[in-house]
Amino acid sequence: MQKIDIPATNRTPAVAFDFDVGHLKLIGESYPEDVTTFYNPLFDALKSWLSDGSISKCRFDFELIYFNSSSAKAIMLIMELLDSAAEAGKSVDVYWFHDPEDETMEELGEEFGEDLKHAKFTLEKLLDR
Amino acid sequence: MLASEVYELRANLRRQGVVFAYSGYVTEGILSGVGDALKQKLVSEDADTKTLRSVFAVFVEQMQNMIRYSVERLPADGETEVLDISYGIVTIGNEADGYVVHAGNLILLSDVDNMRKRLSELRAMNREELRAAYKGQLRSETDAVSNSAGIGLIEIARRASKPIEFDFMRIDDQHAFFALKATV
Repeated sequence: MQKIDIPATNRTPAVAFDFDVGHLKLIGESYPEDVTTFYNPLFDALKSWLSDGSISKCRFDFELIYFNSSSAKAIMLIMELLDSAAEAGKSVDVYWFHDPEDETMEELGEEFGEDLKHAKFTLEKLLDR
Repeated sequence: MLASEVYELRANLRRQGVVFAYSGYVTEGILSGVGDALKQKLVSEDADTKTLRSVFAVFVEQMQNMIRYSVERLPADGETEVLDISYGIVTIGNEADGYVVHAGNLILLSDVDNMRKRLSELRAMNREELRAAYKGQLRSETDAVSNSAGIGLIEIARRASKPIEFDFMRIDDQHAFFALKATV
């Protein structure tokens, strides 16, 4: 599938979905003017890629500095897609990188991680940024 | 005369510790612009990372709540693509306890009881309960990525360093002014 590469803006994270390698990343801040417009195309792409039976593994990195409450819902939906793919037998690794000085982001990571029943979840500190 | 009037307005705000004040029609563009200036100001004050992010997070949620829910609105222009815009006031300042974000807008008088109940519940919650409430609210709304005041208010309460404060004032038969204060 065609790679998705969207540079970060003030209010939206950088998107680097390298489907050939199976490594997908969201990096930066997320408080879009319109959450639906920003995230819906990403859900669609992710969903269609994960539904491909020949894909066996996926790694998803969240490297978010800040996200607002509307983005939290979008993140949760991504997590749910990833967890269903893991349930269906794919090997799915989810990484949550957070600023070591921001415990709210760490807590939020823990909360999202607790909900993953099938995918493997790793919480890590973001170093030297 | 003119200078002294405007200066007096500014001095009044300063006396109350207000560093940023915006009163008028609010849009996402204003959120971006004021947000960027706020970030710069916080960085220049050497605010620690956690405080900086929390003040910013509270500001974003307060602004978006006003943009979505203020009932004082300029109607959309059907002929052009101008969306309706809402009216509100937001201030950010310093008090003895830390940074303070105030926001105020008109709501329907008929919504006051519900909001008072909801906000009183949030005020009474400890960190763990707020955490659980955030998660519960997120889960109950996952069918669609929708705009909800519920989760925004929980986020504000979570990021605040002490219980949020709120008040309502009757304006006329249909409207009340709603004010919310969060200290970080």
